Amino acid sequence: MRAVNAVTSSWPGLQVDRPTFASVAERELDAVHRYLVFLTGNRAVAEDLTGETFEKAFRGWPRFDPRRGTPRAWLCRIARSVALDHFRAEERRRRREERYAGSAGEVVSEVLGPSSLEAALAQLSPAEREVVALRVVLDLDGPTAARVLGISPTACSTRLSRALKRLEELIDDERVR
Amino acid sequence: MNEFAELVHDLRALPTAAPESLRERVLALGEPVPRRTLPQVSWRRSLVVLVPACAVALVSAAVVHGVFSSGTSPKPQALTSERGVAGEALAPTTRPPFVPPDGNRHQDYEASMTVRVKDLDALTDRTNEAMQVARSYGGYVASVQQSTQAGEPGEAYLILRVPVGRVEEAMVRLSDLGTVLARQVSVVDLEQTLRQQRAHILRLKLFIARATEQLKASLPADVRLRLQLQLQGARDDLARVTRANGATLNQAALSHVALTLTTQKAATPVQKSSTGRFERAARDAGSFLAGTGAVGLFLLIVLSPLIVVAGAAVVGLRAYRRREERRLLAA
Repeated sequence: MRAVNAVTSSWPGLQVDRPTFASVAERELDAVHRYLVFLTGNRAVAEDLTGETFEKAFRGWPRFDPRRGTPRAWLCRIARSVALDHFRAEERRRRREERYAGSAGEVVSEVLGPSSLEAALAQLSPAEREVVALRVVLDLDGPTAARVLGISPTACSTRLSRALKRLEELIDDERVR
Repeated sequence: MNEFAELVHDLRALPTAAPESLRERVLALGEPVPRRTLPQVSWRRSLVVLVPACAVALVSAAVVHGVFSSGTSPKPQALTSERGVAGEALAPTTRPPFVPPDGNRHQDYEASMTVRVKDLDALTDRTNEAMQVARSYGGYVASVQQSTQAGEPGEAYLILRVPVGRVEEAMVRLSDLGTVLARQVSVVDLEQTLRQQRAHILRLKLFIARATEQLKASLPADVRLRLQLQLQGARDDLARVTRANGATLNQAALSHVALTLTTQKAATPVQKSSTGRFERAARDAGSFLAGTGAVGLFLLIVLSPLIVVAGAAVVGLRAYRRREERRLLAA
């Protein structure tokens, strides 16, 4: 494990401790990957998107301002944008296939895992899974998670509460089976 | 409650760590080359700085404009205009001399003057005197209008034509009819116009002489006819240009003096003091600011539809993207 390095911003007067990109990548890689696994519901896709997220973050690192949020929240915003682009591309691909093949395109199946919890998670919508990921798994506070999702903190709490309730119900159903 | 804690624990315990290959790929990115970029400043902070900075710059520009413009008082040589502040009389000692006509050149000399007289009786007397002044210098009164309505200040408006050679003396005498409130002189040189007219007349006369000479000889019928027509046209042109030349000479011979006699009380004279320049500077700076404000308001009015359309487009685009996100994530 490398030591977490921090440098001071080169701008006099700002005096903000700014971590290095490598240290942030090492520290937040698992968190971003977890978030994308929950959001996409597919480990293979999440792996690709995580790599893409860090490449994008690498290019945008000079624009990162530590005063405006934590590196984790910043990376999650990038990861969300990358994932949405992926969803759009997938949707376009399905439409194209429908148009040329005359039948419904193949929907990438959600592959989380064999456990009842993973099976229940797979039945949640991406929006529900991502709020669970941000608030429960990554342990972001309400306002930060709301900013990542682009909604109000109240809406974020409501969405989380509904998602957890539904998840519990789905787990119970899975256990009954 | 225990169930919820258990659920949270299970969720966090899910095997979702990044695989080693991904870790290597990400860590291989290394460290971005540090770039010296401008500090990230939010638009709210930018506004907090930019708005006062623009205001200070605008006020500074207004002050500089006021100071510089108050220090100079350019007066074109051919056009002079003096007016007392807020109807203040031009003091005889500070009254600049008239711009005299140039005796060696033909000029269109026009002057206007506003003179305040004591009361309605004086107004009638001074109107008669003004007419006599014009006549005494060999001129005449082109028009005169006098209005005296109850409750309104009396006013007489005279158009005097005075020979240019004597207009300066006439203006001096007209100034003595009362208190001069405003005065304006305009001199337009007519030499160029006269030269052109004379040259045109000469050309036409030469052509007429030649054509007349040619017509004395025997010519084919069609040539003779064409020459006769050209001769007639030239004679008409000559008559017209000669009339215009006469009118120009007449214009140059008689000046045009518009004299307004009024009983209107002048405003309280402003005390001239050392603060005069400061006041002028302040007034000019105020005018500059008002002008800038007017331009800004004009631009705002002109650009506001575009701003509204752009704002609506941004809001619409955001709403569309939000709806699309909801749809994609609800699947």
